[in-house]
Amino acid sequence: MEAGRIHCDLLVIGAGMAGASAALFAAKRGLKTVLVGSTAGLQFAGGMLDLLGVQAPNTANIPALRPWEAMAALIQEQPLHPYARIPLQEIRRAFVEFTELLASAGLSYYCEPENNLQIITSLGTRKTTYLVPKSMQSNAAALAQKPPCLLVDFEGLKGFSARQISATLGKHWPGLRHASISLNGAVHKSYPQPLAWELENQAVRAVLVKALRKQLQGEEVIGLPAVLGLASAGQVQAELEKELGLKVFEIPMLPPSMPGLRLKETMEKLFVNLGIQTLLQRQVQKVARSEGDGFTAYIGPDEPLTMVRARGILLASGRFFGKGLHATRKGILETIFNLPVYQPENRALWHHEDLLHSQGHPINRAGLETDENFRPLNSDGNAAFPNLFAAGTILAHNDWMHLKCGSGLSLATAYAAVNAFVQTRSNAFG
Amino acid sequence: MVLTLSFYISLALFFLGLLVRMIGWLRVEIGTETGRIGLFTAVFSSLKAVLLTLLSPRIFKIMAVLITEIGLQLPLLKNGFLRWLAHMCMFYGFLLLVLMHALDETVTAALFQDYAATLNPFLFLRNLFGAMVLLGMALACLNRIGRGRKFKATNTNDLVLMILLGLILFSGFLLESVKIFSEPAFDRMAADYMGAEDEDDLEALKVYWSREFHVVFAQPPGSDDLETGRNLHMENCAACHSRPEAAFLSLPLSDRLRPLALWLNRSQADLWLWYFHFGVCFLAMILLPFTKFFHFISVPLSLMLRAADPPAPAPMPHKNPARLALEMDACTHCGVCSEHCSVAPIRRIIPNDHILPSEKLTGVKKLAHGKRLDPDVLESLSQGSFICTECYRCTQRCPSGLSLQTLWQLSKQTLAAKDFPEPHGWVRQYAADQWADRLEQSPADHPLCEDFARHRHVSESPETFSACIQCSICTNVCPVVSAGNGLTPPDMTPQQVMNLLRLNLKDLALGSRMVWDCVTCYLCQEHCPQGIRVTDILYDLRNIATRRLQQVRQLGPETPKTALPVASPPAAVRKNAL
Repeated sequence: MEAGRIHCDLLVIGAGMAGASAALFAAKRGLKTVLVGSTAGLQFAGGMLDLLGVQAPNTANIPALRPWEAMAALIQEQPLHPYARIPLQEIRRAFVEFTELLASAGLSYYCEPENNLQIITSLGTRKTTYLVPKSMQSNAAALAQKPPCLLVDFEGLKGFSARQISATLGKHWPGLRHASISLNGAVHKSYPQPLAWELENQAVRAVLVKALRKQLQGEEVIGLPAVLGLASAGQVQAELEKELGLKVFEIPMLPPSMPGLRLKETMEKLFVNLGIQTLLQRQVQKVARSEGDGFTAYIGPDEPLTMVRARGILLASGRFFGKGLHATRKGILETIFNLPVYQPENRALWHHEDLLHSQGHPINRAGLETDENFRPLNSDGNAAFPNLFAAGTILAHNDWMHLKCGSGLSLATAYAAVNAFVQTRSNAFG
Repeated sequence: MVLTLSFYISLALFFLGLLVRMIGWLRVEIGTETGRIGLFTAVFSSLKAVLLTLLSPRIFKIMAVLITEIGLQLPLLKNGFLRWLAHMCMFYGFLLLVLMHALDETVTAALFQDYAATLNPFLFLRNLFGAMVLLGMALACLNRIGRGRKFKATNTNDLVLMILLGLILFSGFLLESVKIFSEPAFDRMAADYMGAEDEDDLEALKVYWSREFHVVFAQPPGSDDLETGRNLHMENCAACHSRPEAAFLSLPLSDRLRPLALWLNRSQADLWLWYFHFGVCFLAMILLPFTKFFHFISVPLSLMLRAADPPAPAPMPHKNPARLALEMDACTHCGVCSEHCSVAPIRRIIPNDHILPSEKLTGVKKLAHGKRLDPDVLESLSQGSFICTECYRCTQRCPSGLSLQTLWQLSKQTLAAKDFPEPHGWVRQYAADQWADRLEQSPADHPLCEDFARHRHVSESPETFSACIQCSICTNVCPVVSAGNGLTPPDMTPQQVMNLLRLNLKDLALGSRMVWDCVTCYLCQEHCPQGIRVTDILYDLRNIATRRLQQVRQLGPETPKTALPVASPPAAVRKNAL
């Protein structure tokens, strides 16, 4: 073994939803795993985990309440969509395994396995999703059953208005009331994260409980912005419910979202728990083949570069924001292996003229095409390398924003790609 | 007679100067915590303290200091052997010259009954002591020339001391050299001490003295009766005169001057030089309290006072203004502090001498003595003072035992009270938009150009901030934003500062609380999903602001905006920007 080198089974490039979950799946399967990349993508996670939010690609404005049925329609309509490569049972297993991992690190999620949930957002709209943080379970229930409900915002907190939400939802929800409370004297925070940290403090919570009691007029449930703590969020919510004697739920805000941050921090905790070696906020500068079919990746940007020798690589470097793909005048490039990228023929075809076109924009389906084992293809249409896999949004033929399937796509493809890598390894060893 | 009179007048002036100097100590005001002390209180409490110390076991500590720090000058040895050697030579050479030569009638004559200035070993020793001083001076000069390349090492005070010392030494040696070949001196001595009026005897003695004692006669002696000359010498002169070879410096000098000897003898040079030598010595004595010579008194006092301080374990640094005044007077401008100063290298970027403790002290001394200083000087003194990190190295190194760190702490208070605080202080004079208004009126539009060429500012190049997507993650993780309760929020958040850069409204950010309250914890930079160097930018803005706001700081208070022809568009944009 050479000095200054890290040796591993699987190097995961990209620390967004796909990369991070792939690292967890791999480590759980006993692989020595190294994770490199920026967690920036996770900073924007909302905290909800979508599976498939729309009934069909052509009718993207109709929410899917039965996601598995919508999935069948999607596969039929878009046979190249990555979901079409994975048995539905595997997708279910990916979600189960992932949520179990989160629960083991103290973060609980809620879902109805056959249905999507709908929850109230900070705009007063409905968000259709598959898994929600436990703190939003009552959100979904309240929106479904519409009991007498009090929505509360904090004076001075930016980006959340209880009045706005109740103005939107109140037409069909007679028992919906809104109030604004001030924690002056205790705290006054304009931004969600500092407020969330403050609410971890028992004394501040006591002020909050007192202020909430004053506003209640017989409501059965209270909706609050999603700022109920960070590290001990479950405890904060449980205590509020106990003190007030009624259900309390969170309403997701725009990023940076506290439920998203809890998810990110829980995953980072799991990296440690599962013994994953992380090189976070660092980038792969180049990758070379090393003898015996392995790869050597050089991790920067600062010199001296860290060398990682891996038996396999899982590429989850995302699209343009994640810098896995790079758009030039002449076309779209894959940034690390320079793999061929499926893309519209020329720039003129990247976008429809209509911004909100019901089909979504062609560029959003650009990405890497793979074989059935999620190995990216070379220009001949064969797997570029026997031990290079790809997962997440970098995959071609998926428009996750349009179909509202981002987390599910990342989890399911990461799960499938890791399993495929394990499979090729055991094949190799007979 | 004239001599005695001038001596006593000089002595009186010396004591007067000393008194003026010491009373000056009581007028010193430094820092905002302590006030002036009355004359009576000062005298009374000093006497009390001295008495108490003399009766306490601390007297032994003071005596130890007297031996090690003043006698052996160990604090100097700590700062280098050559420096110590130079000072030891000058100190002991000069001290012994004063005691054994200047005060010979009182000291030497009392100790040695057959003392005569021209007798060995005194003749030799005088030359030796003089040589020691010269050697010390030469080493000191070399040291200062060497350091002068790095920073301004020598000021007027140092020069005055060197010149006075040099004049005393030079006139002394010259006097001795001239006296060696002086015919008038020979004649005077012969008239006084040789009873015989015999012309032949005198001629014989002249022969002997011109051969053996290097005297130059206008008329070469007629006789060559060396034997008689020697006998006469043994009889009349030898009791008081050793051979001049012992004057190992004066004799060679005298030999060099021989060609001029006749002329010098004729013009009674020995007499004039004698007057000159005494004159310079008296001048030095009168000036002693007001020149660097004063450290001869103030440094031992300072060191002994320090020894008398209440002992460890927790010695509190004293803040007694009178004692600090004494200590400032004990600064010898030796430059050791500046050599060890942690922030001295900053002077390569900011060419301000007041960054160096040895130079800053001069300004601080004037400040403490209530002298009027120009705003420019105060500005520069403030800049230098607030760059100091109070790391304590100067205090540890100072061979004179000055409480430098205390001085810096207190002088910073004084400067702040005089409206010359550190940038963090004065930047609060105005809100961010008021600063921006001022910058708009400032005639110098791009005073940074030169600076920009030298160090590229991160906040100047669009690549650093153009990737910002205003996601507010920086704001959310910022502990400064978080710490702002409802009463004192920062006027803007990191993300808003980035936005101002994107809108090319940097001037509006320069005076903002966010820029100045940033604790450089780097959370924003570490969390930024776009990899923007948020903290580096905030810090850079502070650097730019320090210079640019400084330039518009002294504009009249609230110059009316109506002075501008129309409401300037940026003002309107600015309001929306926030």
